[in-house]
Amino acid sequence: MEAIAKAAEWFIGLFQEGGNVFASLVVGIVPLLIVLMTFVNALIAMIGPEKIENVGKAAAKEGILYYPLRYVVLPFLAVFFLTNPMAYTMGKFLPEKYKPAFYDAAVSYVHPPTGIFPHINPGEIFVWAGIANGVEQAGYNTAELAIRYLLIGLVVILLRGIVTEFITASMWKNKEA
Amino acid sequence: MKGLNKFLEKMGRGVGRVVGAMYQAGRDSVDQVVTNVLPFMAFIAMIIGIILGTGIGDWIANTLSPLASSLVGLIVLSLIIGLPVLSPLLGPGAVIAQIIGTLLGTQFANGSIPVQWALPALFAINPQVGCDFIPVGLALGEAEPDTVEVGVPAVLFSRFVTGPISVVLAWLASIGLYA
Repeated sequence: MEAIAKAAEWFIGLFQEGGNVFASLVVGIVPLLIVLMTFVNALIAMIGPEKIENVGKAAAKEGILYYPLRYVVLPFLAVFFLTNPMAYTMGKFLPEKYKPAFYDAAVSYVHPPTGIFPHINPGEIFVWAGIANGVEQAGYNTAELAIRYLLIGLVVILLRGIVTEFITASMWKNKEA
Repeated sequence: MKGLNKFLEKMGRGVGRVVGAMYQAGRDSVDQVVTNVLPFMAFIAMIIGIILGTGIGDWIANTLSPLASSLVGLIVLSLIIGLPVLSPLLGPGAVIAQIIGTLLGTQFANGSIPVQWALPALFAINPQVGCDFIPVGLALGEAEPDTVEVGVPAVLFSRFVTGPISVVLAWLASIGLYA
């Protein structure tokens, strides 16, 4: 009898622990998340997300100068204003040969800004928050980590855009040959 | 009088628009949190609870932590996750990335992995981002079927290369962080 009681206690203990974690997540993350998302959503509604279409048209141009516009500025504005998954609709302003690379850059930027702009992808916040919570519990501040994640993300999506554009072009050539 | 009326009407409309936008924004945020964030928090909390309660955490600490606390280990992790055959399977909902992130988080919390590996780890767990969604994402951008045919493998191969590079870039970028 005592063994069964011990086992039951252990079993409940697992979820007691989980409940404590849940409570700390809800108290620690949700209030800030809701208020911040409300602010950014209102801001986006007032600015009007359709304004970034002009950037999309400009980013379609040829030439090395347009790489940062196409694979850094456009993906950033697209994920910020349209969020995941509507950001990918901005690809419609680009010629076919750039579309896979633009998708690659845009989709790679739905997590790096979530430390500061969680409205971009609240359903997948734990890619960031999983690690960030651990760092915070270890007694460190995560603000600088969030900024560096956001900034280095921009470098990574530029690189992804260029590499994917190159691979797309060579695969297209192979296919036609 | 007419001018005043017109002004009042205009102001009323303007205020109504702003308040309406804010209220709608609040509604959207709460909806998002209730439908997407809270369920995932429940799921994550359950996993962490079980890990902490059963001692699986010690096992993870012994296997995953050495991998995650060296540059080579994180590159290996990113190569595995970025394998072109594996990445589309690991993509959906970023569930895998979020679980691995949370697991690593528990190791950062207890000090098994030093915090200076946090930034490269964020990239090492995520080379597969959106790999399950390429045809849909391209379709949202009104791509032709031909583009999709070329674009899917192009993105997958690109990830296998850029995944490890992103870890190295993040490692360089984390110099001076938590030092």
